[in-house]
Amino acid sequence: MNLVQARRQSWNIGIVVLVLILGFWRINQLPQFGSYEARTFILGILPIALLSMGQAVIIIGGGINLAIGAEAVLINCLSAKYMAGTSFTTSVFLAFLFIGIGGLVGAITGWIVSASGIADIVVTLATSFLLVGVAMFVMPQPGGGINQGVADLIGGKDPNFIPPLIWLILPLLIIWIPLYRSRTGIAMYAIGSNKDAAFLSGVNVNRTRIKVYAVGGLFAGLSGVVLTGITLSASPFATISSTATLNSVAGAVLGGVSLAGGVGGLAGPAMAALVLYFIPNIMLASGIDPAYSQIITGALTIFVVLVGGLLRKRTGKT
Amino acid sequence: MTKDLLLEINSVAKSYGPVVALKNANLSVRPGEIHALLGANGAGKSTLVKILTGVISSDTGYISLHGQKVQFSSPDDARKNGVAPVFQDPALIPDVSLQRNLALTGTNEKRFLKEIEAMGLSVNLNEIAANIELPTLRMIDLARALSHDPELLILDEITAALPIDLADKVIEIMNAQKEKGKSVIFISHRLAEIESICDWATVLRDGIDVDSFEANKQIEDRIVSAMLGEKNNVANATRRTKQSSQDTETLLEVVNLSGGKNLTDVSFEIKKGEVLGVAALEGQGQDFLFEILAGQSKPDSGEILVNGQKITFKHPADAIKLGISYVPGDRKSALMPQRSIRENLALTRFRGVRNWGRIKGKEENRTVDNAVASLEIDTRAKSQVKRLSGGNQQKVTIGRWVTTGFDLLLCFDPTRGIDVGTKQQIYELIRKFADEGKSVLLFTSELREIALTCDRAIVIYEGKVQANLEIEKCNEENLMNAAHGLVVSS
Repeated sequence: MNLVQARRQSWNIGIVVLVLILGFWRINQLPQFGSYEARTFILGILPIALLSMGQAVIIIGGGINLAIGAEAVLINCLSAKYMAGTSFTTSVFLAFLFIGIGGLVGAITGWIVSASGIADIVVTLATSFLLVGVAMFVMPQPGGGINQGVADLIGGKDPNFIPPLIWLILPLLIIWIPLYRSRTGIAMYAIGSNKDAAFLSGVNVNRTRIKVYAVGGLFAGLSGVVLTGITLSASPFATISSTATLNSVAGAVLGGVSLAGGVGGLAGPAMAALVLYFIPNIMLASGIDPAYSQIITGALTIFVVLVGGLLRKRTGKT
Repeated sequence: MTKDLLLEINSVAKSYGPVVALKNANLSVRPGEIHALLGANGAGKSTLVKILTGVISSDTGYISLHGQKVQFSSPDDARKNGVAPVFQDPALIPDVSLQRNLALTGTNEKRFLKEIEAMGLSVNLNEIAANIELPTLRMIDLARALSHDPELLILDEITAALPIDLADKVIEIMNAQKEKGKSVIFISHRLAEIESICDWATVLRDGIDVDSFEANKQIEDRIVSAMLGEKNNVANATRRTKQSSQDTETLLEVVNLSGGKNLTDVSFEIKKGEVLGVAALEGQGQDFLFEILAGQSKPDSGEILVNGQKITFKHPADAIKLGISYVPGDRKSALMPQRSIRENLALTRFRGVRNWGRIKGKEENRTVDNAVASLEIDTRAKSQVKRLSGGNQQKVTIGRWVTTGFDLLLCFDPTRGIDVGTKQQIYELIRKFADEGKSVLLFTSELREIALTCDRAIVIYEGKVQANLEIEKCNEENLMNAAHGLVVSS
């Protein structure tokens, strides 16, 4: 790794160190640490980590999707409703179908943003209300279910932590890395970094934006299905969707994705989800009021972003 | 359509709503020709280039390449068909590494590196484009265009931001293309370059190609009169001669200033009512010198004295309070593009008003109107500064200091990318300031300007003052020699 790459990776290194510190702290609080605890960690972060990655893709592409939590809630409700009491093969088929629907919803959102020329934040705020409404229509009350075999495939049979770990890493390997290396991946960074320069370099800006939102939607769909697999149910509440959306933005930013677009990756946001998970749990175990954990999470986010900003200033990049 | 032409642009027009950017433009380029495209700011050059390269589409008219009608849907399409543009703003993606930038445009890396090497540069492909300096970035953009082996290379004011050595390199490259039988469309405001290398010149004015002729020696007058039309009374700029300014007081003195990446040891003084020119190749520390004097950056060592008093700046506001005003080279960093001319001009006036005090509308209107009139700013698009042409934007950045008042104006390349007529107006303005007893520190990348506007000049080389020349010695040859580190007797 040369100096240029090292400088670029400094944020990721920072977040790894933070995860390690918090991880050791949390593990020390536990009477023991084994695969059961590891599984709890991973299950605790998996849905939000996936959502953060989806949000990261969109922010890198110069957008932001405030409906990403609502997309996940909708897919959660759809999957819990229609997968309840089905056979293994049907459930697997439906899982793929609903993840695909997530991608489609994302693509449509991206198309509306492109076609209307209205700011992402306005369009996606509107679609977030719409999608939560549809979710409540699909499933008026919390409930639903999933084929137990599929649930085990997602969450792992206690204490097997390998399946959820795979679901955390697999999207990075089969979606992100090929995408990053492709021309579409470069185009994604390009439209986030400088739309005009991207156009002059031969990028179809609108089509790329639709792709970016579609990939974000795939991650949201995956997050929704995974949530069904972990909780074996779904809840159609607007608060869940808005909290999830805000956490996805926090995860992306904490993970080194610049809100200005064009900067960052997906490994950072995945790890940032761990940070967001550890802090309240550490606080709780230390007997500190949960209200403080909110304050500390907020303060830490500001601190990390501040340090990152100062580092970038020093290396001369504004 | 003629078969032996490489490119033929026929009666192309383009309007943006009520604003007509191009009325009726024609242009013919033969194979192996370097063709200068000239025109004042706002004449329609950029629009024509955008139409030619598929950035925008024309309303009427057609373009043919090798006798075949073409309509490019995007710059990518144009590139694939042998038309490779290098735009005024480098079209590299700032946050992405060079390697990925090349991949985006489908550029062969080996080929690109060969071109870079031929330019005598070296680049790290892993470097993020935003970390690379502008002149290098432009050369990279050019190397990328060359890697596509274009039949027609379009260079839109590429030499404007380049130091002399790189500009020479670009000229070599254009000649090499010509020898290979390829063509170049060259847009530049530097008439000397055009005379020396171009075969043919076409002049645009108000969206129409008003003149097209062979570009041999002594075409400067013809170009200028075609560009200016009836307004052709500013063409004859006279060289300045020495005036007695020995006995006036010193306004600013800089002693052994160093800092930044390049500035090592600079000392000079400016008298009241004096225009001091600064000449230097790119990256000799001159930009940091201006930043220090404007209060934007802090020097590592050295002293600044204003009226004999040692001073330090914590913030640009400190410099402004002392009457030192800075006109940056990058107009974009000085203006609020979405706001009106009025607001942009009045911005710095507020130092006189208490921060939360009421702004006196009438008085503001009067000063702003005065500034607009004295600078001859074209106010057709006054509601948003971003819609003004480059020259008019530059006038607004200078004009705001006219409304405020200053003792020392720091002008960093104020005429970069501006048409000849506007340049002339800016020279006159600078002289007028000097006649009123104000001082001006003028850095310019066009050495000719020093003889036209300054009383004296310093040349900075490797962060030090290489030469301190009186006006009689400020010819281009002396300045160029000193800028390259050669000794010039003063």
